[in-house]
Amino acid sequence: MKSLSIAAIGGLLLLFGPAVVAAPVTTAADDLAVRTKLAQAILGEGAEQQKIFGDLADSGSKVVSDVLLAWTHDSIYLYDAPDGSKVPVMLEDQMDADGKARAIRIIDGKFLTDGTGKELRFTDSDLNSVNTDMRLRGTIQQTLDMLALVNPDTDARQYAVTKLGNSQKESYVPILQARLAKETSPTVKKAINEAIATLQLGDSDPTLQAAAAHQLALLKSIGSLDNLNRLANDPKTSPPVVQAAKKAMAAIEEHIKWVNFYGTIFHGISLGSILLIVALGLAITFGLMGIINMAHGEMIAIGAYTSYVVQNLFGAGFAFSISLPFGIFGHQLGFGLHLPGLNAGGWFYQSYFLFAIPLSFFMAALAGLVLERAVIQFLYRRPLESLLATWGVSLVMQQMFRMVFGANNVQVNSPNWLLGHFTVNDVSFGYNRVFVIVFAIIIVIGTWLLLSKTPLGLLIRAVMQNRAMASCMGVRTGRVNMLTFAFGSGLAGLAGAFLSQIGNVGPSLGQSYIVDSFMTVVVGGVGSIIGTVYSAMGIGTADQVLQQVTGSPVTGKIVVLVCIILFLQWKPGGLFAIRSRSLD
Amino acid sequence: MKKTLLNYLAVPLAAVMISSHAHAQDTVKIGVLHSLSGTMAISETSLRDVLLFAFDEINSAGGIKVGDKSYKIDPVIVDGASNWPLFAEKAKELIEEDKVAVTFGCWTSVSRKSVLPVFEKDNGLLFYPVQYEGEELSKNIFYTAEAVNQQATPAVDYLLDQGKKKFYLIGTDYVYPQTTDLILYKYLLLHGVPVENIGGGLRKDDAGKVISAGKYVPFGHTDFQQIVADIKQFAASGDACVINTINGDSNVPFFKEIVAAGLTPSDCPVVSFSLAEDELRSMPTKDMVGELGCWTYFMSLKTPENKTFLKNWDDWLATEDHPGVVKEHRAVDSPMVLSYDGVYLWKEAVEKAGTFDVDAVRKVLESGDMSFMGPGGKITVQSNHHCTKNVYIGETRANGQFKILKTFDQVSGEPFLLKGLDEKLASGK
Repeated sequence: MKSLSIAAIGGLLLLFGPAVVAAPVTTAADDLAVRTKLAQAILGEGAEQQKIFGDLADSGSKVVSDVLLAWTHDSIYLYDAPDGSKVPVMLEDQMDADGKARAIRIIDGKFLTDGTGKELRFTDSDLNSVNTDMRLRGTIQQTLDMLALVNPDTDARQYAVTKLGNSQKESYVPILQARLAKETSPTVKKAINEAIATLQLGDSDPTLQAAAAHQLALLKSIGSLDNLNRLANDPKTSPPVVQAAKKAMAAIEEHIKWVNFYGTIFHGISLGSILLIVALGLAITFGLMGIINMAHGEMIAIGAYTSYVVQNLFGAGFAFSISLPFGIFGHQLGFGLHLPGLNAGGWFYQSYFLFAIPLSFFMAALAGLVLERAVIQFLYRRPLESLLATWGVSLVMQQMFRMVFGANNVQVNSPNWLLGHFTVNDVSFGYNRVFVIVFAIIIVIGTWLLLSKTPLGLLIRAVMQNRAMASCMGVRTGRVNMLTFAFGSGLAGLAGAFLSQIGNVGPSLGQSYIVDSFMTVVVGGVGSIIGTVYSAMGIGTADQVLQQVTGSPVTGKIVVLVCIILFLQWKPGGLFAIRSRSLD
Repeated sequence: MKKTLLNYLAVPLAAVMISSHAHAQDTVKIGVLHSLSGTMAISETSLRDVLLFAFDEINSAGGIKVGDKSYKIDPVIVDGASNWPLFAEKAKELIEEDKVAVTFGCWTSVSRKSVLPVFEKDNGLLFYPVQYEGEELSKNIFYTAEAVNQQATPAVDYLLDQGKKKFYLIGTDYVYPQTTDLILYKYLLLHGVPVENIGGGLRKDDAGKVISAGKYVPFGHTDFQQIVADIKQFAASGDACVINTINGDSNVPFFKEIVAAGLTPSDCPVVSFSLAEDELRSMPTKDMVGELGCWTYFMSLKTPENKTFLKNWDDWLATEDHPGVVKEHRAVDSPMVLSYDGVYLWKEAVEKAGTFDVDAVRKVLESGDMSFMGPGGKITVQSNHHCTKNVYIGETRANGQFKILKTFDQVSGEPFLLKGLDEKLASGK
């Protein structure tokens, strides 16, 4: 555990540490020089062309990598100028209505014009692309890889290094060693060491091979496992090297075991957190209030759709119009809504989710309030009727989602700050997963504070324990019921806001979570919030561990369900059964 | 004065012409058998729409000319309701009661397997437009669909050419992904990819023969944490890719997890066989830029045929009045175009045969002469009931369209790959 925490600190340092790289500063003159060279490379042949590529690899210019990349995609074209010369061009990304785009001359980066200075436009089928063959593409790719080694972006450099490391071309070793001396980022340094060692596995000198294997074992390089395996199984490898390779493989496999172990625990906690935020609302409406609320899933969907609408309001706006399938007195009924968007960009657009979270809570709470006043308040203590009535409501709501948002799923794009991940000792932690864990902790604490530390919480507990007695004491039970139900529904809305970031948003979103929610609450013990927390974490971790052990997502889930059935046979009240005389 | 006289003459003349036209104007019934309700409705309704479009286009161009008569198309639309036994019942109804000349329909392989005996018993004719796993050849079905060697194996060829050495197979647990992945597993072995470089796991029967390759999840699966962590380790060496045959909306959580894990298309591209433009409309495409797709048609194709097709389709959407056709935010994709191609191939075969008789039409189609310049390029029916057509590899763009990276010209469709691969593997050893 200690080693992990040290590694964690190291990882954080890597994450926030200075990753300063001297980006090559190119001036306009340099730019023109490389562009001339590029044009020569495109038109050139044989040894002369090879030499130009060598020069280009040292330039470190973005223009070079853009053009070369386009070349490998067959997107560099030759324009036959009226004077008979051939002009290498590439097409602009932006196309007009006819699918035509302006042509950019490679030699000076200016748009291609006819004699009168009018810009020429082409489709990609109007022009002949420059021929490439396998060998030339190989050379271009190699040049691109070398260029990537000096890319200012750390991830791009690391990727380029890994790629060279797996190329099995030992000629890259000196290039990488030269880069190592200049490299400042510790992650890239590690990657370079790994790449050099991987390349040296292919050396003819057995001592160097064995040393490389040893080095890889020290670096715990998961990526080199394939190469070590190949080396160990190659009959031409000398016995001491085979031994070293096998030893290194054993060390790396041991490392993978630990990575999987910590990874699985993290996945389990994150799945548990999802179950928890999904079930927490139900733990209140079903657990505390005793209402079998089949529309809980649709409250989740309201939260998810709210996030979708907020996202659109930050973008191009949101509009819908529905016409009812029936009319009254011959008049077609229908209504529509058009909300103009903010057309926000950049960080402001990325922050839409922060606004979506509280709004999801309020929208779902509002829906819960209406549902309680309209239907549920008449059905307390009549669980069967409330089951049927809320199920009916859930169907109505699903159809409403279909009418307003369409039967297809809607697109919710995650903000960038939820998309990345960080890696600690090869265990990767997705930001969205870390976010859900923190999110779950916050709402559990919030719920606990509300129930145990506020006057409203006191009233809620009083009404839930004994409605008649609380009423006699002057508590307005109707109002407390209403607020409690709205709060539970609001929590479901929060869950929906988060689920929109990791899965589908569609009319049947709620259906996929309703069973899990009930399962979590029942296993935890009806009426116990802390029980729900334990059961969510238990089910989540068990699911992920079994998935890892059995290697199949289905088997894992089946085993979990069987365990739950057996558990409920043994303890029908769940983990934390409430023993109270007030429960009849 | 002269003008008025002419007008007087023209009116009765036109009336006579119309009535005589109406006399020669017969109709032919054509069956449309798709799920218009239930889980598959989202995908299959689009095919109903494009078929109606093709019928309207043919009708307004004068209909189908058989001998000296011309026939207008009278579509008989039935709803399979995503219920496979119901598909068989509806097929029986179409052939025996409505006496349709041909049926266009089915999406899932299980619905096709369910109607197959009906078409064979009653000697009907079915055109099937959706990529499928092969290993089937009925004399009563023409497959305009992509066979495995027109989608999966070209994609693998492309990835091998791009220097990918490790392949992770993942899919939804049913017949299409299982069969396709098994074929790919053998195909990869044949192309020198060692067993340990094929990820996702293998299942063997008691005799030790591999019966299933790859990782499978149920329909509607949402938790991909472990699988993506597994892929990430698999791809640590930087030369891996993922072959994705996940069907339906499980793709959304899958791709969100892929992005969150930092697996970019340059490290480890994902090539998907069940995601076309229509599906991408409800996917987070911004997070998927650069991932690959492989189909025999892309909406972004710049051929004149495709431009005309898209323009006519838009015009038709704006003016048509068929009930239930959604007009906004429509996309066109490969299954739709292959449905459309099927209608024209059948029309040409009927006109050449000079009769609607199933046996005669089949004979013409099997001759290998029937081809059509469709929106996706030239498509020719082969004697084995599959089609020769262009195969395209594309990468996803943020607007939900594909940028075409590579074209394989005129690939012939081959339904039976497993046996050939087995034989080659056996002789290689």
